[in-house]
Amino acid sequence: MDEKTLDDVISRYDSPSGRLLGILGEIQNREGYVPRDALEMLSAKLDVRLSQLYGLVTFYSFFSLKPVGDHVITVCMGTACHVRGAVEVLAALEQLLGIEDEATQDGKFSVTTEDNRFTLEIARCFGACSMAPVVEIDGNLYGYVTPETLPGILGNYGWRES
Amino acid sequence: MTHEEIGLSGTPKKSVTIVIDGRKCRADEGEIVLSAALREGAAIPHLCYEASLDPYGACRLCMVEVCHNGKTSMVTACTLHATEGLEIRTDTPEIVKYRNVLFELYLAEAPKSDVIKEMAARYGVTRTRFLKKIDTDDPLGGSCVLCGLCVRVCNEIMGAGAIGFVNRGPYTVVGTPFFEANTDCIGCGACANVCPTHAIRIEDRDGERVMHSWGGGRVRLAQCGVCGKYYAPGALTAATLARLLPPLRDDLAGLCPACRAKRIADEEIRVNMRGGADHHVRPRRS
Repeated sequence: MDEKTLDDVISRYDSPSGRLLGILGEIQNREGYVPRDALEMLSAKLDVRLSQLYGLVTFYSFFSLKPVGDHVITVCMGTACHVRGAVEVLAALEQLLGIEDEATQDGKFSVTTEDNRFTLEIARCFGACSMAPVVEIDGNLYGYVTPETLPGILGNYGWRES
Repeated sequence: MTHEEIGLSGTPKKSVTIVIDGRKCRADEGEIVLSAALREGAAIPHLCYEASLDPYGACRLCMVEVCHNGKTSMVTACTLHATEGLEIRTDTPEIVKYRNVLFELYLAEAPKSDVIKEMAARYGVTRTRFLKKIDTDDPLGGSCVLCGLCVRVCNEIMGAGAIGFVNRGPYTVVGTPFFEANTDCIGCGACANVCPTHAIRIEDRDGERVMHSWGGGRVRLAQCGVCGKYYAPGALTAATLARLLPPLRDDLAGLCPACRAKRIADEEIRVNMRGGADHHVRPRRS
């Protein structure tokens, strides 16, 4: 993220208290993650300690410090989805995308495929429990997902069975 | 709470009587009950109490029972202020039970800490039913109880803000950003000084202070201009000297505490031998 863009983002938040999350959220939305240089620049510009920003970014599961792939797939692991088979959906996605189940060092689940095309994440609830189990891809919500319907859904995002 | 309330303004505080385990003790009005109880020799375990910081009540170990109008309630002694007739008990069965569970939790939170093991053993707790926290990313290697004293002292007292809480929930650790050496660190060592479990490792060697726990950051130590001893981090001495007024500042710059005392004493003697002067610390040299 270049300096001008960051200045632009900062200029939209003028309240000295409580603007950090807004700015960080916008960086996350623009870049798909929070780049380290953006954090360092922000720290210098706002005169906020880097340790405070780092604490915020690692605290909220909304932020990611690692770059994400072209498409972000979020599997809802809320109670309703869990009961309706979210674990199987997650396992099927891992198998289809060829990624290993691993929690990252900060306890957030976020894995990106080697070709950087897909990132698999989990969420606690989308509030769409009536359609459980639910998967979100790039902001589009898919309900009543089963391991069998997944290849078709992924096909919309350029996934091909290898 | 303001300095006036805790009696730092110089005016004598009103004295009150509090009752600790049935024993009457004197305390200043508004004084932290934990501090008064420790002075009176009561054995109240505590981890996160630090007189130089505001009461925080993070570790919950100093829980005591307060009797008020015949009703009892449990309160942390480090956030309780002394009032006339306040009655506390430190060893009721309820407190003991509560404390023992806390010790079990701490044994799981900081399984590597000898301080915790010893403290728990003193209260008869030697094992924990909880899953021990093993976090390979923890810069403090399983000895930290997350009381937050180091983070607070770094922020609130030193103003450096070099360390902070990282991650969340069971993954929470204290560390520098990205677990790397942080240039915000002035190497004052206050974090290691306040750490109740001595989890923070800092070492002075070859004219440098190495912050082993904080990503191996190095801070140059200032060398005494007279005896050649390394005595304090350069950044810290510079910040301290900047608060002094110029004549004194220039006289004391580059001296270790021992040589500083010696110089002031020498000047004092010289001035007195000359028949006294109207100043007594600031030495005049041509």
